[in-house]
Amino acid sequence: MIRAWNNENQFHRRRFRLGVYFMLPTVLILLIVLAYPILASLVLSSQKIIIASDGIRGTFLGFDNYTRLLGNELFQQALFRSIYFTLVEVVCVVSLGLLVALLLDTPSGRHAFFRVVLLVPWALAPVANAVLWKWIYNANYGVLNWIVVGLGFVERNVVWLGRPWLALNMILVADIWKSVPFIALLLLAGLQNIPNYLYRAAKLDGANTWQTFVHVTLPGLKTPLVISCVLQSIWALKVFDLIYVLTKGSPADSTVLLNYLAWRETFSNLDIGYGAAIADVLFLLMFLLALAYIRALRPRKRSANRG
Amino acid sequence: MTSYAFRRRLSRNFTRFCLAVFVCICLGPVLWAIVTSFLPLSAMTSTPPDLNPLNATLENYVEVFDTSRGLLSGLINSLIIALFTSAIALTLGAMAAYALARLNMPGSTPLLLVILATQMFPAIVIVIPLFLVMSRIDLIDKHIGLIVVYLSFVLPIVIWILKGFFEGIPLELERAAAVDGASPLQVFRHVILPISLPPLFATGVFAFIESWNEFFFAIILTRIHVKTAPIAIAEFSGQYQTLYGQMLASAVLASLPVVVLAIIFRKFILEGFVEGAVKA
Amino acid sequence: MAEVTLTNVTKRFGSVLACDDINLHVDDGQFISMLGPSGCGKSTLLNVIAGLEEATSGEIKIGDRVVNNLGPFERDVAMVFQNYALYPHMTVAENIGFSLRLRKRPAQEIQKRVMDVARMLELNQLLDRLPRELSGGQQQRVAIGRAVIREPSIFLFDEPFSNLDAGLRIRMRSEVKELHQRLGVTSIFVTHDQEEALSISDCIAVMRAGRIEQTDTPENVYSRPASKYVARFIGSPQMDIFSGEFERQDGRLLYRIGEALFEVPPLINQPEAPVDIGVRPEHVLIGEKGAPAEVHIVQPIGPFTYVTAKWEGGEATSRVTGIAHLKPKEQVYIQFDPVGLHVFDRTTEKRVNLFSLTA
Repeated sequence: MIRAWNNENQFHRRRFRLGVYFMLPTVLILLIVLAYPILASLVLSSQKIIIASDGIRGTFLGFDNYTRLLGNELFQQALFRSIYFTLVEVVCVVSLGLLVALLLDTPSGRHAFFRVVLLVPWALAPVANAVLWKWIYNANYGVLNWIVVGLGFVERNVVWLGRPWLALNMILVADIWKSVPFIALLLLAGLQNIPNYLYRAAKLDGANTWQTFVHVTLPGLKTPLVISCVLQSIWALKVFDLIYVLTKGSPADSTVLLNYLAWRETFSNLDIGYGAAIADVLFLLMFLLALAYIRALRPRKRSANRG
Repeated sequence: MTSYAFRRRLSRNFTRFCLAVFVCICLGPVLWAIVTSFLPLSAMTSTPPDLNPLNATLENYVEVFDTSRGLLSGLINSLIIALFTSAIALTLGAMAAYALARLNMPGSTPLLLVILATQMFPAIVIVIPLFLVMSRIDLIDKHIGLIVVYLSFVLPIVIWILKGFFEGIPLELERAAAVDGASPLQVFRHVILPISLPPLFATGVFAFIESWNEFFFAIILTRIHVKTAPIAIAEFSGQYQTLYGQMLASAVLASLPVVVLAIIFRKFILEGFVEGAVKA
Repeated sequence: MAEVTLTNVTKRFGSVLACDDINLHVDDGQFISMLGPSGCGKSTLLNVIAGLEEATSGEIKIGDRVVNNLGPFERDVAMVFQNYALYPHMTVAENIGFSLRLRKRPAQEIQKRVMDVARMLELNQLLDRLPRELSGGQQQRVAIGRAVIREPSIFLFDEPFSNLDAGLRIRMRSEVKELHQRLGVTSIFVTHDQEEALSISDCIAVMRAGRIEQTDTPENVYSRPASKYVARFIGSPQMDIFSGEFERQDGRLLYRIGEALFEVPPLINQPEAPVDIGVRPEHVLIGEKGAPAEVHIVQPIGPFTYVTAKWEGGEATSRVTGIAHLKPKEQVYIQFDPVGLHVFDRTTEKRVNLFSLTA
């Protein structure tokens, strides 16, 4: 770096120096607001923190918090539920997103109106989304019960958010509804990147719709699909607003996912060190997923052009 | 009609049907919320819901502005925070994105990975230490505190998007400007920025929306004075009692700005997706 | 004043050697082309001269200043890029006047000078247009105008006409030539089109794989190519090169290729090593005598017809004036005009001056 700062060539030297100045504020902020907390979190997770009247005190525990959480049944269930949640959400969101993308790629679907329609769920605040679905899921007055009972699928009002697995899956539905637009738009963009002549060639070769889909569309969508899966799984692990507004973890902690658990341990139960440990486990999970994302991106990098 | 034309007609009608279903599913819940937000409590809670348009009322909306509920201050706080966050993020982010894209910063790859990684972990990891520090230096429940913290996740996105765009600007343009006598800063100001107005705008809108909608940091790092709109909405949904009418009204009000923004700037945002897919 | 001297200039990108020990001198006011195929390093060399790339080693002098450490503007060079590189958000007038605006010249001066340049390049009707509203040729003229207004010591051109269609390209060539005659500024022109280089340059530097093979006038590069590579690269259709050996018959010196014997001009030097013979189409004669050959391809291009024939030594292309009444598979005889024979050392591939006429 020193060499670049003192580069002989004026053109390069000047540009490099500007680059350093330009990066400085960002690096500073990110160091303070990201780097420091991440490291501090690791430190905190090795301690038992007590908030006393005269400040914050920590007792060193080593890995105790971690061993505690690994053995803790609530944590294990939350972990299991988070994985379930993530898997189901990714499968549903990506397949539905693909369907919507395909739908919007047809001649009838190309109208800008449909894309705007997609933007509405996307732009909503997660909290607003939660509120929306809370109303729909309401046991007594929610429209879901109205429809379902009215059509005769069930006899009585269902307490959607009152039964353990049911509540978790209803939250899943709410998050899927909100997440599909982004993925659909991403896949739509990927679809439009597939050159037309491939489709024409397939048609000339006599491929029917399904074969065209399998041999032209899907391969062309490989990268966006992978990215969608990885992104969506990372976001699925982050779910919080829905739980907070809809169930707050009930019934019987059956809708407690990892992220929510970490928050509750830290800010409700005030077991800061333990909460930090849970957060770090979650971080590890996501970090591995992020690595997968980067590996998925890597092969497409083009080398610089010269000559 | 030949069989082929018939099948075409069938498939087109099927497509249209699917599109209709799609629109219903997408907009249904939202429209339902809007409609019921204009109903008085009695109409909402009757089974089936009494949808008589004559019942339409603004009472939910009026009650929502009762100051003890804080929606108005919530909206104002959200506006301040989202505005400043996106403005700062755009400025610093454009600079950093250009530096990474074009100014030969070594170590740009690890930096990039870091930026990418920041998108992908939960706020919970950093909020705990931040909370502790901010309590100590009295930044809790202050606008500036939340703005700085928001930068932690908005700045990386801005940089990521803009970097991709800046890399797409032909290098020859910058070389021509250098040959013409422009310093790198002048190149940035006179050549790069003017060409980049649309993506800059779009990214700014995107940053605004992300800041406005944020809940997690807000609920931890604010108390009373800086309560944002999402928090105000959530407060209508209490542990024991939920005022559905007002909850819905507040949700509609707080969502209106961002949805409207998204629709107005849809061209830019949608292009951003296209760029993203290509860049990836 | 504005001469350019490169001494032992080398440019590496990591492990790739783009320019290898380049030595070049351009006289003040000279128009020199750097000619070569893609990837030979000519554009890189141009960027090094401009100051947009740093030379890995070697010295670059403009005038009597060593400019290695200077940026492009400080070197007082102006450049015309292959893709025009016009500022898309600025009008034609603003594009041309940009450099003056940066130097904070007064508005009146800028306006006047822009008008002068625009008039010279016939752009005065287009001053308010944006680049995307212009045709390729117009855009390129704006790019030239942007360079001209700088009144630099050196003009650099990086394959400026590659993106234009054929007819436009030829017109632009003469415009650039005319500009050079009018302004007399030292110009370095990079191109891969040998016809282009031949038609507009005072001097050509033929490059290959990072090295300069020959620096000479267009006439010399054509009629006295310094190596097989230059000989083949310059001239279209390509020169044909054949392998054979000298033979004495009846006191005369002949060159034998297979069964055929060819006349050669008188020697001025003794051949020390095996050599190959090269001959251009205009010196390949098809007639009743000579080596037997079979017509392969006949290509009429208007004033000439190029006839490619297969014979024992390989393939030979002959330029016949007018229409050649020949058909594929016809049996003919070919001869080489001794005046047009070029000699190359078989191993080093370099030119050898053996004959008195073409030496």
